[in-house]
Amino acid sequence: MAEWEPKIVSFLCNWCSYGAADLAGVGRMQYPANVRVIRIPCTGRMSPKFFLAALREGADAVWVSG
Amino acid sequence: MIGYIEKIKQISERLLKEGTVESVVGFRKGSMPMMNEPCIVKRPDKVEALVWDSNCGINLTNYLTNRKDKIAVIAKGCDSRNIVTHIIENKIKRDQLYIIGVPCKGMIDKRKVSGLAEGEITSVSEDGDAILVKGNGFEKTVRKSDILQDNCAICVHRNPVIYDELAGDLVEEQKDVNRYEDIEKIEAMAPAEKWAYFEELLSPCTRCYACRNACPLCYCPTCFVDESKPQWVGKSQNDMDIRTFHFLRAYHCAGRCTDCGACERACPQGINVRQFTKKLEKDCLELFGWEAGMTLDERPPLDTFKADDPEAFIK
Amino acid sequence: MEYDQAVPLKYVINPDECIYLTKGKCGNCKKVCPTGAVDYDQKEETVKLNVGAVVLSPGFKPFDPSRFDNYQYSNYKNVITSLEFERILSASGPTMGHLTRISDQKEPKKIAWLQCIGSRELNKCDNGHCSAVCCMYAIKEAVIAKEHEGDDLDCAIFYMDMRTPGKDFEEYYVNAKEKKGVRFVKSRIHTIVEIPETGDLEVRYADENGDIQIEVFDMVVLSIGLEADPNTVKLSEKLGIDLTQSHFCNTSAFEPVNTSREGIFVCGAFQGPKDIPESIVDASAAATAAGQSLTAARGTETKQAEMIPELNVKGDRPRIGVFVCSCGTNIAGVVNVDAVKAYAEKLPYVEYAGNNLFSCSQDTQDKMTEIIKEKNLNRVVVAACTPKTHEGLFQETLLAAGLNKYLFEMANIRNHNAWVHKDAPELATQKAKDLVRSAVTKVALFEPLEEAELQLNQTALIIGGGLSGITTARSFAAQGFETHIIEKDAQLGGQALCLYKTTTGENVKEKIVELVDEINGNEKIHVHLNATITSVDGFVGNFKSTVDENGEAKTIEHGVAVIATGASPFMPKEYNYGKDPRIITSLDLDKKLMVEDPSLKSMNSAVFIQCVGSREKERPYCSRVCCTHSVDNALELKKRNPDMNVYIIYRDIRTYGEREYIYKEARKEGVIFICYSVDNKPVVDIKDGKLTVTVLDHILRRPLEIETDLLTLATAIIPNQNEQLAQFFKLPLNANGFFVERHAKLGPSEFATDGVFLCGLAHYPKPIPEAIGQAKAATSRAVTLLARKTIHTSGQVAKVDPMSCSSCMVCVSVCPYSAPSIAKEGRFAGKAEINPVLCKGCGLCVASCRSGAIRHNGFDNSQIFSQIFTLSQVA
Repeated sequence: MAEWEPKIVSFLCNWCSYGAADLAGVGRMQYPANVRVIRIPCTGRMSPKFFLAALREGADAVWVSG
Repeated sequence: MIGYIEKIKQISERLLKEGTVESVVGFRKGSMPMMNEPCIVKRPDKVEALVWDSNCGINLTNYLTNRKDKIAVIAKGCDSRNIVTHIIENKIKRDQLYIIGVPCKGMIDKRKVSGLAEGEITSVSEDGDAILVKGNGFEKTVRKSDILQDNCAICVHRNPVIYDELAGDLVEEQKDVNRYEDIEKIEAMAPAEKWAYFEELLSPCTRCYACRNACPLCYCPTCFVDESKPQWVGKSQNDMDIRTFHFLRAYHCAGRCTDCGACERACPQGINVRQFTKKLEKDCLELFGWEAGMTLDERPPLDTFKADDPEAFIK
Repeated sequence: MEYDQAVPLKYVINPDECIYLTKGKCGNCKKVCPTGAVDYDQKEETVKLNVGAVVLSPGFKPFDPSRFDNYQYSNYKNVITSLEFERILSASGPTMGHLTRISDQKEPKKIAWLQCIGSRELNKCDNGHCSAVCCMYAIKEAVIAKEHEGDDLDCAIFYMDMRTPGKDFEEYYVNAKEKKGVRFVKSRIHTIVEIPETGDLEVRYADENGDIQIEVFDMVVLSIGLEADPNTVKLSEKLGIDLTQSHFCNTSAFEPVNTSREGIFVCGAFQGPKDIPESIVDASAAATAAGQSLTAARGTETKQAEMIPELNVKGDRPRIGVFVCSCGTNIAGVVNVDAVKAYAEKLPYVEYAGNNLFSCSQDTQDKMTEIIKEKNLNRVVVAACTPKTHEGLFQETLLAAGLNKYLFEMANIRNHNAWVHKDAPELATQKAKDLVRSAVTKVALFEPLEEAELQLNQTALIIGGGLSGITTARSFAAQGFETHIIEKDAQLGGQALCLYKTTTGENVKEKIVELVDEINGNEKIHVHLNATITSVDGFVGNFKSTVDENGEAKTIEHGVAVIATGASPFMPKEYNYGKDPRIITSLDLDKKLMVEDPSLKSMNSAVFIQCVGSREKERPYCSRVCCTHSVDNALELKKRNPDMNVYIIYRDIRTYGEREYIYKEARKEGVIFICYSVDNKPVVDIKDGKLTVTVLDHILRRPLEIETDLLTLATAIIPNQNEQLAQFFKLPLNANGFFVERHAKLGPSEFATDGVFLCGLAHYPKPIPEAIGQAKAATSRAVTLLARKTIHTSGQVAKVDPMSCSSCMVCVSVCPYSAPSIAKEGRFAGKAEINPVLCKGCGLCVASCRSGAIRHNGFDNSQIFSQIFTLSQVA
């Protein structure tokens, strides 16, 4: 059986972390493919509702960065 | 506490006679023991109906929301803090209000009293710290401190923080109480233990929303649980939906909750719903040094944006 | 490609290395390039441009330390330059941010930085100047290294003077020393010796007590300086512009971005060694200077884009087009794009899915426009690279097809997928499908959005009529804009009127009088003296300020505002100031010099004490200008009386940049410099009519008593009372009371508040050329707004649904931009409303609204939830 991989949902601020994730791509930094990014306009947009919804939809971890 | 009532009636009568206010929100005797009910008195000759004793736990701030008239309200420590929040949140204006402050020594938890009785209770009366409970075929005297609502037992703001007139002398505030003993216990639990604890805690919930409706902080035209576009929390009795409701209700109260106990008092299933709001109340105190409803000059920390907010705890 | 951040991010062939170009063999790249972009025959072309102004920004050359045999940079592997160290620290660098040394990949435990390598050095190289940035970057590198490696990493910086005169720099230095444990050793290292067995490096220095110490480090970083590039020097000869002693561009204090040749302007490190914010200021200033000279030609070369009428698709069933981009092999090399396309075709509402080799190429754009029209699409998803760089481009494509540009979403399957999951093509394809599904679900919920159009009042209001303020006004007026200056005093000119001359010798007062005359004679500039602002209403483009002018209230409508409120001299209580007429401040001395006070010629001795009120607990910042000012004035005294004994008692001499030359000159002319430390300050005594200063001599380690005829205190520069103004325009102030700019590095002359700009000493203490530069920069930033008649706001803003609003005012309280307010009239009076012009679309209010009454165009709850909901589906 394959090793368990957590499903991670990340909410990234458009102005910093989203761009940083872009740069990670430009720099060809390799990381596991189990992150799904949702772009938000600012971490201020982050509502507790989003955390709960993501966890309910099966995310094992929610990562907010901004 | 019962000594306040004459003063309350006097003030209310005067205010209505002089036309300072159009109505007075207070309590009258309910049809069942320990169940005083809120009432609105509009005529000076009706003030006799008002009562005041240790069964006035309901938060009267609820009755001020969006009122347009000039109104007097009887306020305990917690009520007064909720009134402050109401004023800050544009639910009523300070100059509409005449606050009759009542220094408070705590309210009786009717469930605790019922638990002590051996049958149906027919009357409960009080004399200082002695509470006389009478029922069919029994009579018992208990100490009030043994049957206080949990939130009253740990209350550190018994005196009103805002008032126009006091109905009695200020009381000594309780010191050296550990307000968060129960929360600390949960915080120390391992994740699995926590999970089991909350599963157990919420298992009786029927989502009747009594906690929400009793809360003076809940006044939105449409509650998040009733939103349908998108409907992201189900309306069922599903565990997830129940938890989502309680978590978010608590978040909506973060930095605003005064731990008045209205939610817990209202719960027909006797769930300790305060455990959720209290955790965030504790966080607000520890992280922002904030207690809700203590000042008219500042909004709760989660309602404000400061460019120089150190937010050291987020890093 | 030279580096990851190159613009444009395109590959070029190095003709010196290419086998095909050198030997005529290979040619492989041409064969494999799918777009045929490789052209070996491309030759250098000469293009003639007819221009009205030229801006030089050729930068600098990092000093090459291999010519110093005493540091053995070329031979010792563990001796590296500061730039190399930056790369080692960088997450995208050769060690992926892992701090190791070159000889054996060992993690260093002890690192030394040697300052002034190739700066302040005329013995072994010709760079007499101070490079101005190295002290600060060395501290930064040491702090970051410690943050990476933990506290047991020992970082030592060997320096001559710590020069941290920039905004917030001194605080950073003190923090590095006191909290982060970086060691600072005042000593210039002569030689490094390698221990051959270990590759460790032995450094020998004299400590504060004059004792010789030998220390071994794992790594030595040479803090290399900035010097003029020989190619730039050649170019300057061709252009016929004057250079300075260190071969930087020669400019005057009052025209800091003008070269000696008319029409040619300069910015950045070629103007003199400088850091990022100063370069940015310069760049904006050069743009103003060039723009000013081109005012008559403004708009003459502009081409009007053709507008395609927008189709009304409101209420139509979504018809989504999905374009999956291969990006050459960038995406298709990892992700199975055909599978993604096939998957997209089956998603709800998708009418069309296609594959593009390069979606961003012009012909593909045209093709996409055709497909959108032909298939009658009303929503578009492009699965390609990042919206950060390409959203605007594809939105143009939508506009060309007659669609509202907000009916568009990108799925980032390159930067966030193909590039970062190279070794897992299946997982990457799976992820690409998930990302496409997420984008499709979201775009289906999009509605056409409107952008508010706002008329812009093309008038500028400048608060403060000092040198910065009047320079700004002059630049605005020269570019044709109506300008108001609000000055609280009865005359223009400000503190600069108290200055004797600039470091480069210009007479300040004369120049200011000339400027003020020009201002008064300019009909576009309206000067309000004895005036203060009493209230400010409105927002960018439409401010309405009330001014109290000589007791009379006036209202000024303006589109932008510039804060140029300046600063004041600190009035000291220390060192017996005020108790003896011989004890004066720097500005008092300037006054004496201006009137040619005859007593200056007959004095036997003069003492300067530096850092009076600066770099102390109460006022932790460095006032930046005082070192240069005192050194300059010391030279003036020497000029008047060469026999005078002149002493400067200092903590660090901060004659940054080419100011270092006057420091050198002062030492040559016999000015005596004595260093003191903040916990052992000089003592000033007045006894029997004798004025004496006692200080511990840092070399002799003995107290030195100096009898003097004049004691000049180099006092701090303190901010004016800015609180009210800050409140009016909603501007932040820092702990010291100076205004906080939009971005410390990239936005030094503007505020986060739209339409409000910043210059001069209200920002931070600075000398005349820098204040003028920033004044021009503020104008430049403001003109980017004023040059337009209207501004369009973004459609992606928050909007209140008044029926759900509970009027609790959380949004009003929480918004950093004051966009929400409570409606005063209309059907929804008492409910919140949001001004789309002020809204930045951050969504803070949306998340904070307990009643769910705020919708967020482009990032609405339903849209973000739809993305969350798609997570649990499996492609």
